[in-house]
Amino acid sequence: MTLTSCILLASAVMAIGVYGVVTRRQAVAMLLSVELMANSANIVFASFAHFRGGPSAQVFVLFALALTVAEVAIGLALVMLLYRRHGDTSLALASEARR
Amino acid sequence: MSPVTLALVATLAPAVAAVLLLVVSPLRHRGAPAAWLTLAATVTSLGAAIALLVARLGGAPDARATTSWIEQAGRPLAEVGVLIDGVSLVMLLIVCLVALCVQLFSVAYMHDEPPKAFGRYFALHALFLFSMNVVVVSPNLLQLFFGWELVGLSSYLLIGFYFARPSAAQAAVKAFWMTKLADMGFLFGLLVLFVSTGSFEWTSAPSAAVATWVTGLLFVAVVGKSAQFPLHVWLPDAMEGPTPVSALLHAATMVAAGVFLVVRADPLFALAPGTREVMLWVGSVTAVFAAGLALVQRDLKKVLAFSTCSQLGYMVAALGAGQAFAGFFHLGTHAFFKALLFLAAGSVIHAVHSNAIDDMGGLRKKLPLTTGAFVIGALSLAGVPGFAGFFSKDLVLSSLEGKASWVPWAMLLFAAFLTAFYMGRVVIKVFWGEPGARAEHAHEGNLAMTGPLVVLAVPSLASGVLGGWLATQTSAEYHLHLGLTPVLATVMSLAGLGAAVVVFGRGGKAPLTAVLERLDTFSLVDRAWAGGYRLGLLGVSALAGWVDRYLIDGLMNFAGWAALEGGTSARRLQTGLVRDYALMVVVGVLALVLIGVLR
Repeated sequence: MTLTSCILLASAVMAIGVYGVVTRRQAVAMLLSVELMANSANIVFASFAHFRGGPSAQVFVLFALALTVAEVAIGLALVMLLYRRHGDTSLALASEARR
Repeated sequence: MSPVTLALVATLAPAVAAVLLLVVSPLRHRGAPAAWLTLAATVTSLGAAIALLVARLGGAPDARATTSWIEQAGRPLAEVGVLIDGVSLVMLLIVCLVALCVQLFSVAYMHDEPPKAFGRYFALHALFLFSMNVVVVSPNLLQLFFGWELVGLSSYLLIGFYFARPSAAQAAVKAFWMTKLADMGFLFGLLVLFVSTGSFEWTSAPSAAVATWVTGLLFVAVVGKSAQFPLHVWLPDAMEGPTPVSALLHAATMVAAGVFLVVRADPLFALAPGTREVMLWVGSVTAVFAAGLALVQRDLKKVLAFSTCSQLGYMVAALGAGQAFAGFFHLGTHAFFKALLFLAAGSVIHAVHSNAIDDMGGLRKKLPLTTGAFVIGALSLAGVPGFAGFFSKDLVLSSLEGKASWVPWAMLLFAAFLTAFYMGRVVIKVFWGEPGARAEHAHEGNLAMTGPLVVLAVPSLASGVLGGWLATQTSAEYHLHLGLTPVLATVMSLAGLGAAVVVFGRGGKAPLTAVLERLDTFSLVDRAWAGGYRLGLLGVSALAGWVDRYLIDGLMNFAGWAALEGGTSARRLQTGLVRDYALMVVVGVLALVLIGVLR
């Protein structure tokens, strides 16, 4: 396993996440895709920490995980509110701010 | 007190009265207190002027005190202050004396006005006296310009005193417009002078070309203020104002401000022979033209108004001949006898309640004192030997000898004949002949009315003998001489009076009356100005309006429209869908990455 293959993995996960964010309509699926993108960043951090040495990148990953959890909590709360309001979690319905 | 303090007192006393009357409205609204206050201020001014005269007779030199105004780059842009020399002292005395007589006369003449109007009248008189004194004591052209505009404002307000009468309001606006049009010449003249010499002094000596420009522009203002052809049209209309106002502003002092300006700026005019030649001709033409029109007026005051135009023409012609002293001397004597004539006319109008000459007639027995005063004024104006007008008119005519192949000289001699002729007509028609319909119950006014007539009659008779003294005060040359001109002038004035007796004594009409009347009613100059106004000013205004409405407003409207449309278009980017925003973020990041890679 080389650094290059790890970066490629991270890129693939990022691409899947972006694809999901752009194409999915359901809020939960979008949240999941966002999580994938965040995780691809974490993979990059971890890989560089492993191959180039130095503990600071691993510390970043731990912080990023904690932040992601908080983000998911807020995201899921928004999804709950969206469901209560519209009876559905399609983000196409949540465009009130436009008006 | 020092001469400077006295000059300041003379100038500012009426200003104090004017401001008090303006601010403390109960004083003004009650009428009588306003009259007392204004009279007190005028007496103070006159007293200060007399004190200055006494000091000067005791050998006091010229006094000049200025304070810098608007410091700029370490030196004052201009100065304001007072200058007391022979010219300003004599003018100050004339203005204050005539103003006092006129104000005293007004107390009786305006007696029937409601208190508010009465108070306003005297407040305006105080304002006028202040303005005129500012002109008189000015040490430079800039301060003179301020006073000049202020007298213009006073004139407008006093002509329009009966503003409820449409003709008076129109006359006031007309006078304002005509004189303002001319005053632009003053303003531009000042600018040219300042740009080329860096000062507003009349002693600054610019090059001949600049002097011609400056004096030419100043002369435009003189033509307007002193009612010279072709800007004279406002003066006859200004007779809509109360008669004492006509006496003070539109005969004795304000209209003479133009002549005063030229006397003051004589060093500048001396550098511009071209301007002087124009002045010579304008003055001569005005003198004859206005005298001709004075012959056919049916309104007593309008005869005197045209006569004023004509006499101012004499003064301007003398100034054009380079004889500032002759013009100034005639200004002085004219101030007295024309004020006297106007006040006597006011007395007549007060007695018969009409301006029309045809309503008068045979007033000699009813109004003996007024008749005496008017006759003295008329003889002085006609230039009968011995009277004040004779000396100054003779000096004006002498100063024209040989100028421009004697043509202006001949014109003014003819105008002297006309002057005697039309004054003879008025005297005969008003005071002799059959009593008019309204002349039955005429009677003399009270002392406030007759007193000023007596006071003014004295200098109208005798101020001519002061010529020699006046000349020494203004360091000019003056000597009585017996030559062709005084003899001819005497012959002309006596012939005019004789002709008037022959023609009008039997109720006849002047030759060419029909032609002159047509000329008067058709009033070509008025029509020309009205046409110029419609074509010129309204045309330019229409063009400016079009530019404003379609170009400038169009630009503004386009800016607004572009912002609105741009906003509406940009709004479409904001779909409100998270997906689209996410896509934009992705595209943005990809673009950044691409830029990073390609560099």
